[in-house]
Amino acid sequence: MSDRGAVYDLGYTPYSGERLGRRGAIAATYRDGNYRVLGIKRRARKKILPWSLAILVMVPAVVFVGFSFLLSSFSPDADSPFANQQQYFGITATIVFLFVVLAAPELLIPDRREGVLSIYSSRPLRPDDYVAARSASLLTMVAGFMLLPQVLMYIGFSALDADGFFSAVVSNGSEIPKFVAASAVYALAYAPLALLISTLAERKSVATGVYLGTMIIGSSLAAFLVDSGTRYAALLGFAEHPTHVVEWIYGASGETVTQRAGFDPWVAMVIIGGVAVASVGIMIWRYRRLM
Amino acid sequence: MTDSLLAARDLGHAFGSVVALHSVNFDVPPGRIGLVGANGAGKTTLVKILLGILRPTTGTATVFGDDATSEFLPIRSRVGYMPESDCLPLDVTAADFLIHAAGLAGLPKNAARQRASDVLTLAGLHEERFRRIGGFSTGMKQRTKLAQAIVGHPDLVFLDEPTAGLDPEGREDMLDLISRLGGFGINALVSSHVLGDIERTCDWVLMLDGGRVIRSGPLDQLVEDDVASVEIIGDRNAVAAALTDAGATVEHDGRHLLVRAPDSDPFLLIRDALAATGAGMLSLGPRSTSLEDVFLSQEGSE
Repeated sequence: MSDRGAVYDLGYTPYSGERLGRRGAIAATYRDGNYRVLGIKRRARKKILPWSLAILVMVPAVVFVGFSFLLSSFSPDADSPFANQQQYFGITATIVFLFVVLAAPELLIPDRREGVLSIYSSRPLRPDDYVAARSASLLTMVAGFMLLPQVLMYIGFSALDADGFFSAVVSNGSEIPKFVAASAVYALAYAPLALLISTLAERKSVATGVYLGTMIIGSSLAAFLVDSGTRYAALLGFAEHPTHVVEWIYGASGETVTQRAGFDPWVAMVIIGGVAVASVGIMIWRYRRLM
Repeated sequence: MTDSLLAARDLGHAFGSVVALHSVNFDVPPGRIGLVGANGAGKTTLVKILLGILRPTTGTATVFGDDATSEFLPIRSRVGYMPESDCLPLDVTAADFLIHAAGLAGLPKNAARQRASDVLTLAGLHEERFRRIGGFSTGMKQRTKLAQAIVGHPDLVFLDEPTAGLDPEGREDMLDLISRLGGFGINALVSSHVLGDIERTCDWVLMLDGGRVIRSGPLDQLVEDDVASVEIIGDRNAVAAALTDAGATVEHDGRHLLVRAPDSDPFLLIRDALAATGAGMLSLGPRSTSLEDVFLSQEGSE
């Protein structure tokens, strides 16, 4: 073997491998969206908030399961000192709401402000594909934030059940469609409106402010007007509609603004669905003009 | 039309009442094409129509023989685009952005990673690949823009003002990179108002002025390098007449005569004319007709 090194100029190698076309471009956009909302491949400070919220959403579930294990006193039907799965949505909803406030502007606004949208425009990607991939990223994250602690609790509590794990999994199987549906309701109620506002706003701070205003001030105003006798103002309480629907899914009753105004849960469902469809429609219209 | 890399038939586009392209027609073969014209000539509009970003108001445009309006997805799978404006995310590294750009071009994940590394090396950014783009100089950003355009190994790359904002050294590097694209099997459409850049890098020129095509043809047929320039001491008109009698075309350019002789050597004709008229000569040399001369002579004439 020679002791002298050799330099090989490999030069430029043309690519002749597989090309995934539109499917690959959509997948890349979706993947990039997931990275972006979680701050992956970004500076450390971009990771702090999303990962803090992700930890925050899981910690109570871990604590509940852990304490239940230590005390060995848990029974899903008994009066547990800890939140049950429906009540847990009350905890996660606030955290997920904060996550959406931060994630939606991050997902859409930099692409427009930094001109990256022109790159997407030149790839095998329709404007509708871009909107769908970005929306799917946020919906996936929101659903994940909602579902993961629920799955953890479901498995954890099943493992602690006196009848054994598999027996508990089967006997409590009816919980699964409930928490999946509840997660979907929250995702649909929070994400599309946030994405719509981020589609129209030029700055992340503006999008965040408008979304917070719409959800928090809108609900407070709706509550005030309902208490003043204007029943239909309850429909503007966007932040409370998913809670109403989720309580209905779990057969519970509550005090949301639409419940106080005497509306059935399907009214809240129609509003959630209507806002989601209108938001996606306006986003597509806007991006067809931009791309 | 299908043998052409790019073609247009009665292609027009208007932004409201402002007409950007007036029913243009052209056929352009594969190679490196220079799209030249002043600012506002319609270059970017034409590029966006060819990419399927804009829909033409009238007529059709084709790329690889496919209609740019109805077949824009298959076309975009085979092209890359380097916009003139900012198009880079500032908070990611060059490597991560290139991997994403390769994914957007349809490359699978592993191939995207490999291609990103190769192309960053080609663009001279290998050492900088793990730095965030926000910290790059203008020249490095331009090279990153070019890298993202070719990372998918396109059959054709659209380069919109690729040397904009570059210092002389950066410009040389960029032109050198563009010149090498042909060797990699990548056709290029270089849109620029810097005619020297086009002369350096392209073999076909498409000239636009006011939304109209004023010239389209091979660069070597547009520019001339067989013109002799002579500065006369004595009777200039007599020398010009002698040259004309000998079959040359003579043009007065200040104190110089520009002599073109399609069928013979203009220098020999000048020698004979000086001998015949007894005039003297202060200077003699070749004079190239640059793309700029062609553009200026055509501009506004249509």
